[in-house]
Amino acid sequence: MAHFAKLGANGKVIQVLTLDNDNMLNADGVEDEAVGQQYLEQHNNWPAQMWIQTSYNTSGGQHRNGGTPFRGNYAGIGYTWDEDDQIFWPKKPYASWVKHIESASWKSPIGDAPALTEEQTSQNEADTHSWHYVWNEANTTWDLTDSRA
Amino acid sequence: MQKKVLTEQSLFYGDIDMPKGFEIDQEKLTNDILQSSFTNKQFPFSRTWDMLNTYMRDFIGLDYGISLVNKDSWGDIYKPGQISKPLLNVDPVNLRNSPDFTMLYGVKVDKCWVRIHFDDNRRKGRSWDIELKKNMFVMFPSTNMYIVSNDQKDSLNFVQTITYEYI
Repeated sequence: MAHFAKLGANGKVIQVLTLDNDNMLNADGVEDEAVGQQYLEQHNNWPAQMWIQTSYNTSGGQHRNGGTPFRGNYAGIGYTWDEDDQIFWPKKPYASWVKHIESASWKSPIGDAPALTEEQTSQNEADTHSWHYVWNEANTTWDLTDSRA
Repeated sequence: MQKKVLTEQSLFYGDIDMPKGFEIDQEKLTNDILQSSFTNKQFPFSRTWDMLNTYMRDFIGLDYGISLVNKDSWGDIYKPGQISKPLLNVDPVNLRNSPDFTMLYGVKVDKCWVRIHFDDNRRKGRSWDIELKKNMFVMFPSTNMYIVSNDQKDSLNFVQTITYEYI
């Protein structure tokens, strides 16, 4: 089963459809995205070039089963197709975050949240605290928070 | 102080902005409205109708997270100067099988006005008017009564209606 994202204006994903692999075979019997696009144009009344194949098993630039990742992420409604980087991007979580091509994800401008200390981790495990970092967009910092406090 | 919205009456409107070369074929819909009106038969399914319907379902889902399911569809013809009777697409004694939303689409229209009635708590009997232009839609809760008028003297107005449930 193949999956295709239907694109609207500005490359926004408006729908994701499945397509039987038999419907995207070319004359040589090889799966071909262009054949699938033509099939979808004919049967779904939407231009061929606005259907882009997506991989159900790809997420965060990784293939779930150890295969070759395809186009960064499995497309979802509201995702944006980036033709230059060949990646389906989820919605940007914060205005300051930037694209990280390798992991096909958005990263804060100062990188990932710091790791918790051993003490904080043990307190979380003991269930006396719930330490975690929360992104502070106003200060562009990771703020340590205890949601049990 | 906090606020909780228990219910809202949302009206959606705009143009059906199809990709170039895939525009809604108004002639086809006009013919189907004429045919179904004169033969008194169910509005026929067509590629054109499906394009309109899919566009609505896709974009309401994308922009507002509402999943629409079709209930019914028909076309109406309004004569020059005609004002419809008040229209209501829910059955008050069978709300379970009534639609949630009514969508009107301007197929072939000129000076076609839609007046949507609503209550604002104790302020009853308010209304909102919008001109339904060609290739434009307006969608509103089916519990709102509405009136369609053809405010010119020269031509018929063709309006497509599709009703939806949301899930």
